[in-house]
Amino acid sequence: MIDSTNEEMAVVLAEMRYKAISDLLASVLSKKGGRWTYTDMFDHVFLHKSLGIPIFLALLWAVFQFTFSLSEPFMAMIEIAFGWLGGLAEIGISNPHIASFVSGGIVDGLGSVLVFVPPIFMLFFALSILEDSGYLARAAFVMDRLMYKLGLHGRSFIPMMMGFGCNIPAIMATRSIDNEKDRMITILVNPLISCGARLPVYVLIAGAVFGAKYAGTVIFSMYILGIALAIIMALIFRRTLFKGDPSPFVLELPAYLVPTAKTVIYHMWERGKLFLARAGTIIFGTVIIVWFLSTHPWDATAGGVIIENSYIASLGRFLEPIFSPFGWDWMTAVALLFGFLAKEVVVGTYGILLGVGEETLGESLVGLGLFTPLTGYAFMAFVLIYVPCVATIGIIAKEMHSYKWAAFVMAYLVVLAFLVSGSIIGAGRLLGLS
Amino acid sequence: MGNFNFKTGKRLGAYALALGLASLAAGLVEILGGYGEMIPSDWFGGYALVVIAATYLNGINDVSKGKYDGLSFLMGGLFLTAIFGVLYLLIIGADGLMYILGEADELPAFVDLRPAIWIFIFSLPLACAVHKLTRRMAW
Repeated sequence: MIDSTNEEMAVVLAEMRYKAISDLLASVLSKKGGRWTYTDMFDHVFLHKSLGIPIFLALLWAVFQFTFSLSEPFMAMIEIAFGWLGGLAEIGISNPHIASFVSGGIVDGLGSVLVFVPPIFMLFFALSILEDSGYLARAAFVMDRLMYKLGLHGRSFIPMMMGFGCNIPAIMATRSIDNEKDRMITILVNPLISCGARLPVYVLIAGAVFGAKYAGTVIFSMYILGIALAIIMALIFRRTLFKGDPSPFVLELPAYLVPTAKTVIYHMWERGKLFLARAGTIIFGTVIIVWFLSTHPWDATAGGVIIENSYIASLGRFLEPIFSPFGWDWMTAVALLFGFLAKEVVVGTYGILLGVGEETLGESLVGLGLFTPLTGYAFMAFVLIYVPCVATIGIIAKEMHSYKWAAFVMAYLVVLAFLVSGSIIGAGRLLGLS
Repeated sequence: MGNFNFKTGKRLGAYALALGLASLAAGLVEILGGYGEMIPSDWFGGYALVVIAATYLNGINDVSKGKYDGLSFLMGGLFLTAIFGVLYLLIIGADGLMYILGEADELPAFVDLRPAIWIFIFSLPLACAVHKLTRRMAW
């Protein structure tokens, strides 16, 4: 023990301390029915060795069903409002440049993104309830059993869960992991955890190609795919780049609490306002660039009507051969390119390129044959996996003190995105799907 | 805390068994393709019902013997039943709102009451009984 590292000593001391507490309690405390607490009762079930993970998955599915199904009417209200604004712009603005910018850039572009405020806030609302009730810590605990068997560190799961909101604070949260190898692995796989910015893309594509009935389940499958890929990649990194055993995971579970409306709404707002801030800055800025490139040269495109003659179409056609084996056209290539700046821009780009508002965007994607259920699902997987947003790349470089690691993350994610989406397309075609 | 004994445990266990079997049957039917309009085909909805069933059924033996270990599974099962029951009720409410907004063709009907909602309604007497036994329990 004297030769052990400081970290191992700390773990041994913690274990000895807990053993001493346990022995002391056993000698002075007899636990009868009257001594049970609600926390004991629920932990008996939620931390159960066989039921713990199935219950976690069921609750996670409920979160996404809640997010998608309940946000629909609120999305419809925003669509109606933007539709009204678009009509107003077309009638009321005489200058063709300004009318095109307001109706094409702001209403179709930014409006296509802002319509996803309700599902994003509802996702954060549900996650806040899980967190504030004390359940999220239990989720990390039950997943630790599985992760440790795979050679991973249980503490990694907490940043992973945080990644559902945004990958940036999740990557910063890895500072709580003492072991450097465990921390590096957790950072490398964190972009695979689906953040809130990807949700608009899933809601749009899943709703369009699978219909409202199955959209919640399809979106849930994206989150599960992300977790599964993160675990697989972490395992690969553990066995190749960062060899060694994970350090033991000691987690003190808080007592369960009934979350108060005030704290849940506060946490939802704290996370959700990041999306609103992005909508007003990077998303709005990118949407202006996309609008400009799709309407210019002004004469050649007849004011953005003949989009095939635009700069953006030239750029898209240059990139199209990379994605055409997946059945995706130049518009998808452009959407993915600008999605690197912020994932929500993928939706805004489609809004501008197709010249429609969100209320008919899904129908247009299917009606124009841009996506089938197979190519749509593969596209969602690609958006999940391929490079995270530019801000996440920046934080990876900062936390890993190296731009080389940031470049490595981008490279491995692009390769993985092509592999997974290609496998989905290939498997689907083998099954006779188009 | 209420008087939780062998006799009460038998009664609670029998009710939980009925709920567990009903959840299991409905869950399996949903997974295997549904039955009519009342039980739609829904893999993950069915999976959730099977998990609820497993939670109830896990506790029946112990709860019938008057053990608190078993009561905890009933509480877990009731909690999950409430989550999914309320979730589907909220979805019906959202569908109704969509109709009012002119985005849906018809109002939600009686057949839209999913099995999870019925099981939630039938679980309420058990929830009341368990609440009586545990109302003074500390968090």
